[in-house]
Amino acid sequence: MTELHPEMHERRILGTELLWAFGVGVLIAAVLSMIVFTALSIGVNPPSNVERIDPKTLHLSGEFAEDNLGTTVGADGRVVVRAVATQFMFVPRCIAVPAGRPVTLRFASPDVLHGLLITGTNVNTMVVPGYVAQVHTVFTRTGDLLMPCHEYCGLGHSEMWATVQVVPEDQFQPNSEGRVSCAQR
Amino acid sequence: MNSDRSYAAHASPDAADDIDEAELAQAMRVVPLGAGFLAGTAVALLVLGYLLIYLLVFIPRGSVG
Repeated sequence: MTELHPEMHERRILGTELLWAFGVGVLIAAVLSMIVFTALSIGVNPPSNVERIDPKTLHLSGEFAEDNLGTTVGADGRVVVRAVATQFMFVPRCIAVPAGRPVTLRFASPDVLHGLLITGTNVNTMVVPGYVAQVHTVFTRTGDLLMPCHEYCGLGHSEMWATVQVVPEDQFQPNSEGRVSCAQR
Repeated sequence: MNSDRSYAAHASPDAADDIDEAELAQAMRVVPLGAGFLAGTAVALLVLGYLLIYLLVFIPRGSVG
């Protein structure tokens, strides 16, 4: 076997690298196309909601005052959950939601940066002081789901979690004010 | 320590080079193919894992936007 001329050797290396770069380019293009396709065809997008709120006064009045926290069913049947993420707990600690029905989750923080996810679902958002974090979802399975804080928020971060109680539609009974609380077990 | 010394002796520029050039050329022809195959397999497995999670877990959970 004859030894390759150094220039040929360089060209072979260049050819291999270009082939690899082409393959990686195809992969990136395929993944990006899939993301764009699912976004346009079935509306798979990251939660995006730019809505400001004053973190110093949000607990005093308005949407995130204590009386308004928890699950509310509006006159139009919309299910809206409002919760405050604060050091080191979610208020309320338990959230009741119906299965198989669109739910809007709204969160605000009066102190530092928090984050949350609900296990087994795509709900996953940061809660930035000064902004309302909003996520829309449909819970498909009933049961208790864990909702931990996933953004380090201080020494008690690991103790900061809540429960999302997903109940069957027929057991989701709002009271006269349209409020729903977790069932005591 | 002993092994270091013996390695230094072998690696000395004065040591005789007893490598067969033809065998070296043959190895250099095959080794990059193996490296390419290994890297390609690793990337393919990674992409396959991503696709399976994206299509079978993420998409069925529905949109949250």
